Amino acid sequence: MAMVGACSLAAGCFGGTHIKPEERDIDVPMLDLAFQPAGAIVLDGLYESVDIQGDMALSWRKVYYLFSPNGSYTAAALGDGDAGPAFTTLTGTWKCEARGLSLDDAEPLPLEQAPGHLRLSAAGGSLVLAQRKLP
Amino acid sequence: MPGSVRCKAVAWGGDVAGTPVALPPGMTGKLLQVFGVLFVLALVGGSIAGFGVLKDRVKVVVGPDAAATGPDPIAELKDDVNVLAGDLTTLQQALGSNFEQLAAGIDERAGARHAELMGLQRDLAAVQKQLASLGQENAALRQQLAQLGKQLEALPAGGGMQVASAPGGAAALPAEPPPQPQPQATPAAVEPPPPTAPAEVADAPKKPDAAKPKGNFLFGGARFRCDEPHDYEIVPELSRVAFDAKSTLHDFTGVTQNVRGTFRIDFDDPQGAWTGSVRCDATTLKTGVDGRDSNMWEYLDTKNHPAIEFTLEKFEPAKDGVDVARQTAKGEVVGTMRIRGKQKSVRMPVQLEIDAQKRLIVKGEMPLSLPDYDVPVPSQLGVINMEKDVKVWISLRARVKAGGGK
Repeated sequence: MAMVGACSLAAGCFGGTHIKPEERDIDVPMLDLAFQPAGAIVLDGLYESVDIQGDMALSWRKVYYLFSPNGSYTAAALGDGDAGPAFTTLTGTWKCEARGLSLDDAEPLPLEQAPGHLRLSAAGGSLVLAQRKLP
Repeated sequence: MPGSVRCKAVAWGGDVAGTPVALPPGMTGKLLQVFGVLFVLALVGGSIAGFGVLKDRVKVVVGPDAAATGPDPIAELKDDVNVLAGDLTTLQQALGSNFEQLAAGIDERAGARHAELMGLQRDLAAVQKQLASLGQENAALRQQLAQLGKQLEALPAGGGMQVASAPGGAAALPAEPPPQPQPQATPAAVEPPPPTAPAEVADAPKKPDAAKPKGNFLFGGARFRCDEPHDYEIVPELSRVAFDAKSTLHDFTGVTQNVRGTFRIDFDDPQGAWTGSVRCDATTLKTGVDGRDSNMWEYLDTKNHPAIEFTLEKFEPAKDGVDVARQTAKGEVVGTMRIRGKQKSVRMPVQLEIDAQKRLIVKGEMPLSLPDYDVPVPSQLGVINMEKDVKVWISLRARVKAGGGK
């Protein structure tokens, strides 16, 4: 037993070191995307949130939008409730203008795009959506 | 015989032998004169002839003697060089002084710019503080507005207000349109949620404005203020609990991401009731070497005590350690550590901050002595020994729990 223990301790001599303080954190992948104003683009397809910042992050863990080129959308968001996580769904209309994306005729929100991504900004934070293929 | 001349006459085609001839008196002198004249004539003629022949071949140049009358070129050259050297020295001095003036000017402007920049930074900090306080006032006003809106809506219906909220509850936006006509809502297509009691909504001022549906998920929602109490729940995928150990042979780290726990934290009341607990599964601690891991679990008696727990009792902030505007805090957490069934009071210096996703980040480390928890210190053959003191460290991320702040 002592030999086994000694061997096990000795085995550790082949490569043993502490994790450096600067490597202790779990890396949160940062999006390295160059966003540009989207302008009056046509939205089409499924988008999944990959980054939620600001107060919106308190409410939503995940957000999905499915845009149709005819100007309608359906969306779902996973939030936290008293009974645990639950989805909230929405449907409505969208319109893309030079000023941004107007959902249900509301004030346009600044909309930016990068390859395969959209970013919506509001006072409550920002939402980065990545385009996905419909399963 | 005087006056006689022996001559030899040679004629063409013959030879006349010379015989002495007697000359009359005075003839010799005349002959000499004739010969002299002929000689001179010949000389002159020869000169003329020679001149005629050579006149085109010989060129005679008559000029002044320069060496005797002009200046010494070498001396002139020396003078020129000296003059040039003098000019160069003057130019060098002038340039040097100009560069000094230029450098002084640049330093002066840099100093002025630096002062301006410092002033701008101070102004910016002041503006940021004002923005932070305005943001807080804005949030408070929004809450009051939301409450007023609910009260107004309650008036026409006579008090039977239905608050449309999603099954998600506190932080979710409503999916069902309110009784009032909302042009942007599509009632037929929206999932009708169960109504919640108005009292519940009134008790949770940080819940979103549930009275009116919005066209997207970006509006409404909870507003985060770190100067209010919040409940946070650890996100295991983004968290680690570990220890650094040293032995005779090498150093190693044992780490696990199997971490659970919740905190209740209020940045505005750092010396208030901060509570919480962190629990990690000791059987998931890994050092990278299987044999060492199994020994470690044995020493920790994980069969009987599978968890390592820390219970938070209070937070002691460092001097000026809490910055509500920056949403950061540093100080010491005081609590109880439980390992291998043994409990001990501990203090851990920690740093806290809120990230862009409104998650709480907690980092800290502290020394821990294994014998304090009756953990045997590994030692093999008295040769390979592990040090009894280890360093425990944490890197945690926790998200706000819904319904927190009550």
